[in-house]
Amino acid sequence: MKFVIRRFKDDKSFWQSFEVPVKKGMTLLDGLFYIRENIDPSLAFRASCRMGICGSCAVKVNGRPRLACETQLSKFKKEIKIEPLDNFRVIRDLVTEFEGFFAKHKKVKPYLIANTDYENPIEQLQTPEELKKYYIFTLCIKCGSCLSVCPSSATLESSLGPAALVSAYRFNADSRDRGKEERLKIVSESFGVWRCHSAMECSEVCPKQIEPAKAIQLLRRETLR
Amino acid sequence: MGVMSWFKYKSPFGLAFAFQRITGIILLFYLILHLCYLTSLQSRELYETLTSITVSRQFIIFDSLLILCGVFHGVNGIRIIIHELGIGHELRRVVLAVSAIIAILGWIIGSYILLMALGD
Repeated sequence: MKFVIRRFKDDKSFWQSFEVPVKKGMTLLDGLFYIRENIDPSLAFRASCRMGICGSCAVKVNGRPRLACETQLSKFKKEIKIEPLDNFRVIRDLVTEFEGFFAKHKKVKPYLIANTDYENPIEQLQTPEELKKYYIFTLCIKCGSCLSVCPSSATLESSLGPAALVSAYRFNADSRDRGKEERLKIVSESFGVWRCHSAMECSEVCPKQIEPAKAIQLLRRETLR
Repeated sequence: MGVMSWFKYKSPFGLAFAFQRITGIILLFYLILHLCYLTSLQSRELYETLTSITVSRQFIIFDSLLILCGVFHGVNGIRIIIHELGIGHELRRVVLAVSAIIAILGWIIGSYILLMALGD
């Protein structure tokens, strides 16, 4: 199979082709490793868990963001075009800068804010129904696919983007959390939930099918209460 | 990437998003043009002369395209409102297909009415 990769070196970008022998069950990430180990050791890409958990290997495949480790090469015919994610600054080849992405994530306080007495800690109970309200949104792996296709984030860099807003909703919907008001104040700003124009591309490309667009609309509803 | 990102769609939803913006701009442009046109008509003779040019078979294609823009923008807007109320996200593909069918039907019916109103 022909791998056509968009490479970046010293502020210049160019397309480079590689021939990769494909075996049954081989993933795109396996193909990238094959190139690096057998053809061009200078090819840069990010990967870690190889099982769709860490979200490191998200790249644009034939124009659509996908996790390289979960993309079977048998899906494609003769050629496959690979590029780094959009809306992110490219460091080199397929490696993009995620510092801004995580800074946005940090902004919404993505952790449980609870009145915990650390001297005498007690178990914080939750019913299965309460868990069900936000469980799906805990599956976000911060791969950045949603932000890379969000037209609102593309037109305004300070826009929080889908992943950060999903996190805000996830913790706001948690019955044990006491930081709802703090987070609502942050996401109500002009760069928050009101920046979303419901293009719904985020829900379409999410590798975990967590419906970020739905989380944003539910968060919007909360801000109006 | 800016405004060009509107056209880097990955799914029919992104395409609908791009069309919503394009039709919005066209409708706004038409509204301004329409108001300027109407305010410039100072006499009955001038009104009749200009409407005999614009209300004609040669212009019907533009009127028909305007109906398409208006119907699409309206129907797609309602679809977005439904989803923005937090409703039907899981059924979004069906909602999009239904809204596309309604928009096309509205366009055909609107254009037919227009054609009939024009007569011979």
